[in-house]
Amino acid sequence: MRHPRTVVLDSEAIQALTDPAHRKHRRVLAVVEVAASRNLRRAGAVRLVVPTSVRVEAGWNRREPDAAAANRLRVDDFALDTPAADDAAAIRSALGVSVVDAHLGAVLGATPGPHAVLTSDPEDLRRIASHLGTRSTILTV
Amino acid sequence: MLDLLDGTPADTVGTSVRLPGNLRDAAVLATELGLVASTTELTVRGLRDALEAFAQRAVLDAHYRTDPGARPTLAEIALAAAEVDGNPLAAKPDLVRRAAGEVGLVKDNAGPDDVLLYAAGLAAAVA
Repeated sequence: MRHPRTVVLDSEAIQALTDPAHRKHRRVLAVVEVAASRNLRRAGAVRLVVPTSVRVEAGWNRREPDAAAANRLRVDDFALDTPAADDAAAIRSALGVSVVDAHLGAVLGATPGPHAVLTSDPEDLRRIASHLGTRSTILTV
Repeated sequence: MLDLLDGTPADTVGTSVRLPGNLRDAAVLATELGLVASTTELTVRGLRDALEAFAQRAVLDAHYRTDPGARPTLAEIALAAAEVDGNPLAAKPDLVRRAAGEVGLVKDNAGPDDVLLYAAGLAAAVA
């Protein structure tokens, strides 16, 4: 049991976060509230992260006017740059997971742990975390 | 503040900041150890983290002003905290809800971690 330093959001979590009409909107906001509460107590304690491929899948275009509110929630992009692509490719080759999940795995490998992942696909994420040997708590959206 | 935080840093400005001596010396040591590039970087990082925390709170509060129904309860937030921590209290939502209802009696402005601490006390008391 430990406080995560990085909370990673997957596609459904992002859809729920950016759409107030989504049935899980409050659920995801509760997780954001945990980060906000801990960051007020200790600045920089918890970082919220979204892999950019997840943003693509969830349709979160930061340039759209509708995205203005979500853009300000302090959810950081984790880009699929060259090192991340290499890491994701290795995960995809080893486990046969989707590109998005592989990118999410690359985030787990490259950001400070412990991690928490808010996902609609807990089984694949558990496999990835186990494969990487990261200390990750997997939550279902 | 949000626009300034999200903006592109166009330039840097010199400023005079008084630091506690021990903090300054620790920062110099961290620099010498290669843990950070400079005291300036440490100061900027700390300042940004603190301002980001204020911004995150402000953005959430602004959202709840336009959509009050979106605000999670303290019990919901505490349960989410238990889940992200892998805390066994996540499997005891009734206890967490009770703690969220009672913790205000012993602590003003209680947060989710206060609720979990109180709930752990309740769990220990009945064990």
